[in-house]
Parts: sequence; C-alpha cells; structure tokens
Amino acid sequence: MGDNRSNRVDSTLNALLDSFIAPRAAGEDEEAFEERAEYALERGKSTVNQGSSITASEINQAHDLIRRKLLRDNASPEKAARFGNLYSRLLSTPVLNQKWSILYLLYRLAEEEPGEHQRGPLAESAQLANLFHGEPNEKLKALKDLDDSGPEHASLPNGSDVLSNGGFSGQEYPSRARSRTQKPPVPKFNHAEPGDDQDVEAKVYTIDPPEDALLRDLPFNLQGLSSAHLNFTSSTTVKLPPTLPIPIISLLHSLAEPCLLYRGLSEFTQASNGGLVSQSLRAAIGIELRSYLSLVATLEGEIRRCLTAAEKDDTPMGVRKAGVTLKRCVIWTRDATMGLRLMTLVVEESEQKIGGQLISLIHGFSSSHGDPFVGAFAERLLTRVTRPFYDMLRRWIYDGELVDPYHEFFVSEPDPSTRPDVDPRRVETSVWEDKYSLDPSMMPSIISADFAKKIFLIGKSLNFLRHNCGDSDWVIEHSKSATKELRYGDTATLEASIDEAYKTTMTRLTRLMSHKYHLFTHFTAIKKYLLLSQGDFIALLMESLAPHLDRPAYSQYRHTLTSQLEHAIRHSNAQYDDPEVLRRLDARMVELGSGEIGWDSFTLEYKISPPCDVVITQWASMQYLKVFNLLWRIKRVEFSLSTTWRRCMTGSRGVLSSVEDRVGGDWKRARCVIAEMVHFVNQLQYYILFEVIEASWDQLQTAMNKQDSTLDDLIEAHKKYINSITHKGLLGNPRHASTGQREDSFLSQLHYILKNMLAYKDVVDGLYSYSIAEFTRRQEFSAQIEHRTAQGKWGITERDLLPSESSRASTPISGGTQPYRQSVLLSDNDSPLPLGSIGAGADKNLLVSLRARLLQLSTEFKSRINMLLYDLAHQPDVDMRFLGVVMNFNEVYKPVNVRRQKAKERERERREMERRSREVSAVAGEEGEGSGIRSAARA
Amino acid sequence: MPSKDSKEEKKEKAREVVDILEEISLLLNTHLDRPQLSLCVSLIENGVNPEALATAISDLRRDADDLQRVEIKDVA
Repeated sequence: MGDNRSNRVDSTLNALLDSFIAPRAAGEDEEAFEERAEYALERGKSTVNQGSSITASEINQAHDLIRRKLLRDNASPEKAARFGNLYSRLLSTPVLNQKWSILYLLYRLAEEEPGEHQRGPLAESAQLANLFHGEPNEKLKALKDLDDSGPEHASLPNGSDVLSNGGFSGQEYPSRARSRTQKPPVPKFNHAEPGDDQDVEAKVYTIDPPEDALLRDLPFNLQGLSSAHLNFTSSTTVKLPPTLPIPIISLLHSLAEPCLLYRGLSEFTQASNGGLVSQSLRAAIGIELRSYLSLVATLEGEIRRCLTAAEKDDTPMGVRKAGVTLKRCVIWTRDATMGLRLMTLVVEESEQKIGGQLISLIHGFSSSHGDPFVGAFAERLLTRVTRPFYDMLRRWIYDGELVDPYHEFFVSEPDPSTRPDVDPRRVETSVWEDKYSLDPSMMPSIISADFAKKIFLIGKSLNFLRHNCGDSDWVIEHSKSATKELRYGDTATLEASIDEAYKTTMTRLTRLMSHKYHLFTHFTAIKKYLLLSQGDFIALLMESLAPHLDRPAYSQYRHTLTSQLEHAIRHSNAQYDDPEVLRRLDARMVELGSGEIGWDSFTLEYKISPPCDVVITQWASMQYLKVFNLLWRIKRVEFSLSTTWRRCMTGSRGVLSSVEDRVGGDWKRARCVIAEMVHFVNQLQYYILFEVIEASWDQLQTAMNKQDSTLDDLIEAHKKYINSITHKGLLGNPRHASTGQREDSFLSQLHYILKNMLAYKDVVDGLYSYSIAEFTRRQEFSAQIEHRTAQGKWGITERDLLPSESSRASTPISGGTQPYRQSVLLSDNDSPLPLGSIGAGADKNLLVSLRARLLQLSTEFKSRINMLLYDLAHQPDVDMRFLGVVMNFNEVYKPVNVRRQKAKERERERREMERRSREVSAVAGEEGEGSGIRSAARA
Repeated sequence: MPSKDSKEEKKEKAREVVDILEEISLLLNTHLDRPQLSLCVSLIENGVNPEALATAISDLRRDADDLQRVEIKDVA
C-alpha cells in the first residue's frame, strides 16, 4: 500500500515537474534537452524528498500570510476580501486534508516571484523610485509566460527566438514600418479591444507616421529629446506631426506632457544657485528624475521587444500580444507624469522661496493634499529636502552654532549694520536679546511655533554659554554626548530629543547663572543697597554723608564719598556680606547741572558685569538708579525732618519754653505741620518699601525658585519686577492712563512736595535760631539787670524799656549794644532810639516774615498733598489707591482735582463776565426805559 | 447506487476545490495552470512537504529563466 502510494507520488511528481522544465531551446539538440530535463527532474525530486525544516505552525498560518501579502501588494483590499471568501469556501469543503499545506505552497510560489503580479510598470505608484529592480527579468518572464501559458499561444514564437533574430537597428524600422503600412489587411497598431470588428477598424485608420515609429521614438521624446516626428521647438513646446488622426494626437498630447515636464525639470536640476535647501530639493528631484529615466529605459526595452516581436510575427494576434501601444504607454507613464507635474509645481512655486518656506511648501503638499499619491510623493521629497535643515537644526540645538550660509534657518543672526535701533530701553545691545532672532516667516510648518521657540531658546542658550559664560568645554562635551541624528518623519523621537536638550541646556544655564555668576545674590544685593533694604547701612551712610552733601555738588570729592561708603559698610551689618558684592558697590556723583547740592547728585551704584548684564540690563540699572534716587530723597527728607523734630522737641523742654510767650504759638503750628510731614514721609516710605518693593520682590523670588525656569523667564520676571517697582513706586507713567493727557507725574509732584518740606524745615530752623536768639537776649537782659542791681542802680532804665516796649523784641546782640549805648549816652543824644527801633523793627520783620513763610509753605504743602491724593485716588492700580487711603486715613485732607477746579474757575469767570455784560446792557436798557417813563410822566 | 453517487459527489467536490484553489492561485499570480495545480494538490494530499515542493518548482522555473537569459546574452 505504502509502495503503491509512493509510486503514485513519484509519477505525479514526474508529471508535474515535467511541465515546468523549460521547453527545448532553438539551438538545442534533442539529446542535450533530454539530459537537461532528466537532470532537472532528478534534482526536483531530491529536493522534494529531502523535505524541509518548515514547521506545522507556519503552514497553518498560510491563509493569514496570503491575506497579508494581498493587502500589502494591492492598494485596494478587494483582492484580500475575495481571498477571504474563497478561503471560507475552501474550509467548508471536506475533500482536502491538507488545505493549509496547499495554501502554503501557493503562497510560496507567489512569494518567490516578486512583482510578477504587476503587469503595469507603475501599478504601485508609491514605489516610483525603486520600482524597476529586476524589471527586465520580470518582463522576460512575462514573455515566457506567454510561451508556456497554454495551447492557444502556440503560434507565438518564444521570446528567445524573437530576441535571437531581432537585432535592433535604426534603419530597419522605417522600412518595416513602411512595408506594414503598405499592407492594408494587416491591422495597424490600433489599440482596439480584441474582437471581430478589428479589421474594420484597421481599414478606417491609416496612420502617418505609423504608431510603431512613434513608439520607437517615444523613449527619446520622454527624455526631452527631439525625434523625427516630435520636435521640441522650445523648452516648453513640442510640435506634433499634423498628419496624425485626432485620437493619436490626443494620446500624443498626454505623452508630450511628461516630455516637456522632464525637460523643464532637468534644466532646473542643472542649475546650481540657491541655498542649501533648494540644492537639496534639486538633488531630490534629480533622484526622482533618475527613477523616471529608468522607467523610460524599461519602456524602451518593452517597446523594442514588442516591435521586434511584431516584426517577426505578422499576425494580428502577435501584435496585440506584444501589448505595447501608445495608449498603454500613456497609462504606464501616467503616475510618472503626475510625479513630474508635482515636481514642476514645486519648482515653480519655490522660485521665490528659500529655506523654511520651501520646506513649508512641500510639507503643505504632503500634509494637506487630498490625493494620497501626491501626499506620499511630497513626503518622499521632503525626506531629502529637509536633510540640510535638520543638519542645521542639529548644529543649533547641540552645538549652539548657527551654520546657515544662505539664511535659510528660522533663527537668524541680524546683521549688526542693519540692526534697527528702535528700543531706547536698551542702551547697549544685549547679547542675549539681540544676537539672534527668530524669523517666523522662515519657520517650516513641520515644526510648531512653540517648538521653534524652544529650539531657538536651546541654541541661544548654548551659544550664550559658550561665548559669554566661558563654558565652551561643557558645550562641547554636551554636544559630543547628546548629539543625535535628526531627520524628517520621526516626530516623536525628534520631540523627545529636543525636549531633552532643552532641559539639560536650561538647567545648565540656570545653574551657571545662579552658582557661578551669583545672579540671585546680585538681585538681593541690589535690593539691599539700592532699594534701601539694609536700614542700618543706609542710616549710617546718610548720617556720615550729611555734612558733605549739604555742600554744592562740585565740591564733592569721590574719595570722600567712597571713604564714607566704606565707613558705612564697616560699621553696619553690611560688613558681613559677600566681599564680591561689596566690591561692586560704589558711590559717585551723577553729572547734573550746576547749582545742585550734593544731595541731589549723590548716587550709589551697583556694578554688574557680564554675563549677568543680560538679566540686569543697562536699562534695568538705570531704573534701579531712579528708584534709589527717589528713595534717597525721601530718606533725606525724613532724616532732616527728624533732626528738626528732635531739636524742637528737646528745645521745647529747655530753651523754647522760656520764649513761649513770644513764639509758642508758632512753634505749636510748626510742630503740627512737621508731624504732618513726618506722617506723609513715613507713609510714603512704608508704601514704597513694603507694599511695592517687598511685594514685587516676593514675586521675583517665586519666579527665581521655580524649578524649570529658563533665562528668558528670569529676564521676564526681572523686567516685571522693575516695571512694578518703578510704576507703583510713583516713578513711571507720566501720562494719564485713560485720557493720555500729559499731567504732572507723581515723581515731579513728589519732588515738589519734598522740596517744600525741606524749605519748611529750613524756615523752622530759622525760627529755632530766632528763638535761641530771643532766649539769649533775655538772658543777657536779666544778667544786665542783676549786674546793675549789684552796682546799686535801677535794674531797668527807661532807655532799656523803650525799645523793648516798642517792639517787645530785641536785637539778638543786645549785649553788644551796651558800649554803643554808652557812647550814645556820652553824646547825650536820643539818637539811639530810632536806631534801636530800627533794630527792633528788623527783628519784628524777621519774625513776621518767618511766620508768613511758614504759613505759606504749610498751605502749599497741604494743597499739594490734596492734589496728589486726588491723583492717587484715581489710579487704576489698587496699591496706589491704597497709598492715598493710608495717607488720608482720617480724611483730614480734601483731595481736589486741580485741573477741574481751574476749569471751573475759568468757567465761573466767564459766566461772571457774561453776567456783568448782561447787567450792563440791562442797566442801559432800564435807563432808556426809565427815561422813557420819565418823559412819559413829564408828558 | 449510493456508492456510485458518493463517488460522483466526491468528484464534484474535488472539482469544486480545485476551482477554488485555482482562483486563489490566480489571485496570487503563481502561474500554475489547472493540471499543474491538481498535480500539486494530489502530491500534497499524499504527504509531500509543501515547502520542498515549492522550492523544487521555483528551482525549475529559475533554471528555465537562466537558460533563456543565457541565450539572450548569446544573441547580444
């Protein structure tokens, strides 16, 4: 039984293998053929009997393999669906035991002949570039298939015969073509469907030049070369022979398109101008054109073979079987034409575009074009075109260097000569801000804006690290260790690697800034010294500097200032501060106009060295100086007010109490006003130091301590900090927020008020010295009385009383009048009386003028405060309104709108004028009337 | 006669199966014609390893190809 079975297998196998053995070749004799067949048979058998290592599980998955293969090879799932249908039918039939094995066999046979299922060269459009690997072989097979695919093809000579006798020679064709056209019954190359009416059609068409001639020329035409019938008259036109029938012309029209497009594109690829991206576009298009050329080569092979076949075989069947017609060529080149068309479109649109714009353009095709063919094609182009872009990107995010000779990257380095000097805030160009800039127009659409910003920041930071922080070692190390290949298509990896680079770079930069360059220490130091946080230091400095600064500005010497500064540092807690910080602290005079006293031009300075000046810019330093200036003024006013206050408080217990009858009232008033001023100054100081600076400082600190803050964040936070302290600190905003109308800025108002206070303080000092003088005079007077009493005279003479009665005051140096008075006595003249009265008058005048001045200054102070409070109450900022409330907590001041009041006054005056003029006219009228009445009465 | 009926039926079934298989083979472009296919089916039903058979067939086909190519080269 087993023997029987193996016999059966053997014979079946023989039959099968026999059918596969190549038929006898032309030149092969019988014996050789026999031998070959025998050998092949033996080998086949041994292969079969050997078996193979294939596992059962793999065989059992055959249907799955087939389905996947069908899905893979065919664009539409139709075939796979059909297979599924067949497979389920196969399963339902009980006849076979080895269904899967058979399927596997079929699968293997199919698999081993790749591409054989594709009849058209471009069935798989997506693989245009690498389509023709092994294509000639395939074509041969196709021919061979024709040979052995059944008895109905027997008339066709086999491929080897055709080829052996063929021998292409250019001269041979026209004659043959002619001969063919001269034979009317033989059908022309009409691409008609097979059928009985073929002969009829053949009679209808007589084509000149014949289609095979056109076909023969076609490969040349497709490469953009002129041929006998198709002539390229210019780069964009081709001349078709006029004798052709219209269907052929229309076919040639569609065939002419790739020819012309190819011409244009090959011209484009020959050019060599443009940036890196356009060069890479050129290269990519060149590659595509090469694959197009290989298509043309295949076509040429096809055409030749088929022409030869047709030549050999005159039957209509042979012609049709050869199967190359103009129409078929159109079909075959269709996808290639689309590719060419797309490339031409890209080339045309890319003329004005460079770099990122070009990439965006192609990316637009790949991402938003509805046709999957166009999408895939553009995608493939993009992979090549973006290569230089990604190279630049890599250099930028790993080395921090801009390698962009054609300005194609979206980060650009502005030309220093053309840099616009628009922002007055930055006096000097900042390395961080201005060295590179982001050019949104060059940003390719393959990366999002956020991402581009990130990339920009990475590169900028690296560059900054390298060139400004002297940390190029780290950068080199980093670029060595972290550099990864970037390319198009792998978005996830790209994002991940960029994120990673971003993180490391930012961490490094922030760390460097805070540790190596002590940025945060500088912030603190500036706040301590320039913003007067270090109270003991400032108090000491002010105390020690006060005598110097009262003198004019030009008599200030730098060495005294610095020595006083040194003194203040040594005697306050500042001495424990970082020497690095103290080294940067400097005192100097600001250059101001003449006539200033030291107070106005003194300033403390904190020197910032690069790279910290990226954050604490020149502009920021200016703002700090401004704030310091204001604070210093306020401090000075506070200082002098408190000095005066102290003096009059201690004086009131001693000296002043004895002259209370004279100036007690004045002093009371003065004390009230000074108290008011002190309150004002205190509130102002409290507000600026605690409500403004400390609050903003807190925000700044939060920003500084944030985990993943970048240098940009820091700069931003610091800018915000400065803006808030200058704005809320009454320094900024010279214009009215809502109306835009220019108004007295708070700063000038404050300056005025502070000046006012100082003037008041001076007058109070005058009052004090006046009181002292009065006191001394009285002392001396009583001393004189005692003296006289001791001498046994009257204590007070009439002469003494006279001046004092007249003025109840006396000259400050009444003691000095004694010898004078004696001389007067000696001259026995009353002339001293007018003299004394003059002195007393001057005395009195002094007091009166002092009083008037005090009154005037205090009212002015009040009105100024009222104005300021009004402005404060109408600020949009809550904190500033709060300052107004704090200053006027018991509503002792009545805020007035000066401007409106003035307008009102003007309005009132105008109305008054009108009223008066009306009255005048009315009176005139009345008079007229009255006279009329009178006249009437008279009558 | 039931036995004859069943035989007829079996034949009918077998043809059906070969029909299906031929269609699959067409789908896959294996270039096997019907007699070849039925030979293959019978071989495999008799326990021949499909992998080995496939190898043998493709070997033979390649030989034929080679032969042709050699001739082409000769011509050239």
